[in-house]
Amino acid sequence: MPVLELKNIIKNYPDGQNINEVLKNVSFQVNQGEFAAIVGPSGAGKSTLLTIMGALLTPTSGQILLNGQDISQLSKKKQTEIRLNQIGFIFQNSDLIPYLKIKDQLQFIQKISSKKPVDAIEILDKLGLNSRLNNYPNVLSGGEKQRVAIARAFINQPDLILADEPTASLDSQRGHEVVSIIQQTVHQENKAAVMVTHDERVLDLVDTIWEIEDGKLKKVQ
Amino acid sequence: MFLTLKELLHEKLKFSALGLIIFLIVFLVLFITGLASGLANDSGSAIKETNAQTFILQKGSESRLNRSELTEQDWQKFQDKYHNKAAKLSVSQMSIQQANNASKKTDIAYFIIDANSFLNPTTISGQKLKNANNNQVVVSDKLKSSGYKLGDKFKDPATKTTFEIAGFTDNKAYSHTPVIYLNQKQAQKLSPNTNFNTIALKSGISKKSGYQVISQQDLIDAIPGYSAEQGSLYLMIGFLYIISLFVLAVFFYIINLQKLSDFGTLKALGTKTSYLVKHVLSEMGILSLVSIIVASGVTYGISLYMPASMPFNLGTTILLGTGLLFLAITLISALLSLIKVVKVDPISAIGGNN
Repeated sequence: MPVLELKNIIKNYPDGQNINEVLKNVSFQVNQGEFAAIVGPSGAGKSTLLTIMGALLTPTSGQILLNGQDISQLSKKKQTEIRLNQIGFIFQNSDLIPYLKIKDQLQFIQKISSKKPVDAIEILDKLGLNSRLNNYPNVLSGGEKQRVAIARAFINQPDLILADEPTASLDSQRGHEVVSIIQQTVHQENKAAVMVTHDERVLDLVDTIWEIEDGKLKKVQ
Repeated sequence: MFLTLKELLHEKLKFSALGLIIFLIVFLVLFITGLASGLANDSGSAIKETNAQTFILQKGSESRLNRSELTEQDWQKFQDKYHNKAAKLSVSQMSIQQANNASKKTDIAYFIIDANSFLNPTTISGQKLKNANNNQVVVSDKLKSSGYKLGDKFKDPATKTTFEIAGFTDNKAYSHTPVIYLNQKQAQKLSPNTNFNTIALKSGISKKSGYQVISQQDLIDAIPGYSAEQGSLYLMIGFLYIISLFVLAVFFYIINLQKLSDFGTLKALGTKTSYLVKHVLSEMGILSLVSIIVASGVTYGISLYMPASMPFNLGTTILLGTGLLFLAITLISALLSLIKVVKVDPISAIGGNN
């Protein structure tokens, strides 16, 4: 059974007198242990698609099944709960909270979640961040920040990981490194992951590639 | 609380600066409130601290003691009805000089009373005023700042009558001058006139034909300068509250505006809006509580070292009241920022907008 399945998703935005169709009948699925990439030019609807997958935006029509549960028409409150417990986000600029030390970034998620906490220090250790536990984000390099963001995405043991252009602010070597960490963790922990990117240099690391253009999504590999 | 404490500790400089502003405003408010309350005491404590609820004045005296003159006949009418709940009172503002140093003069107010009436004040040292025909009088503690001690003598410059201080009351004052209590026999030495200014009543009545009947507060309000002083000070205090409401609202707003992208990220990660609202409120609450406590401590400390001649009165009620009012002001001023925080869309975290 797929972890995430999108069925006939349509998303329209009013654009003055007209209606702007951003997503045109999109269907998609990702299974446990699978790392999928969505590529496409700017403005093709990548981000919109990711926000719909992440329970941040409600589609105009269509179904989003997360572990078999339709999350397309949930209330804001329920969406927040889904995001906390079932989805892990990795943002473009890592978006760490500036006033939290590295270990607190993870412990905060554990504080607001009711799930049984795992050892946050161990996860950071595995990602080579053990010397950074008591640092604030502002002294970390871009690669280190993104590794903390990966740790944060996995800390609450979600079933689905969503990555929004995780290599955008990194050079190619660091970018490759970061994506390979995501890939290894996804495979080790047997999670499903979706990465939106236009960085073709990291596509060798993913299991499936989908392409989006003009709001239409198709599987290319 | 987790986020709140971590943020307060990390952003020490920013929050100390904000705390300093709150501290300065609270300090100023407390100081002016203390001064207003002190001046109020200095103006009317000799009237306010009596048990009298009502004062009977001559008709047409416009609430002013010095314009009212009552006679023995008036007194009989009230005494028959109220017995020991009525008391005669005359107030006259004069100066005295030290018995052995004629150049050392002090402005005072004589309160001429019947020592057996309820107007006779308790003393904090020495003995109470008696109705004897001697020169033993009771004076306000406030006279100590002019160098008078128990047993000291002073002279009335006009009649050269000498009195001896037999007892001190607490800080009783009338129109910013210390009060000297005389019995009627002692008063005769200064002026043979047996008429008096007012009859104080322990019970509250509102009307008596042929007389002006006023409440204790009305009488105090009519003491020269009292209303003008209190009015302008409380106007200042009122404005300080309003100004701080707006200043703090703007500061909180800007501080939270800077953090909107963080709030967006936190929401995207699954933080409930109610958690963030609590976070913002407790942040402002802790900050202002600490500032208020420090300001209260500092104001109280300063008040201990203020010269006795400076009228300043900062009771627990004023401290607590001002503190609570200010805490309410800071929380209200955080409302504007809260609206912003509630409205942040977690979607802003996606697409690298931050």
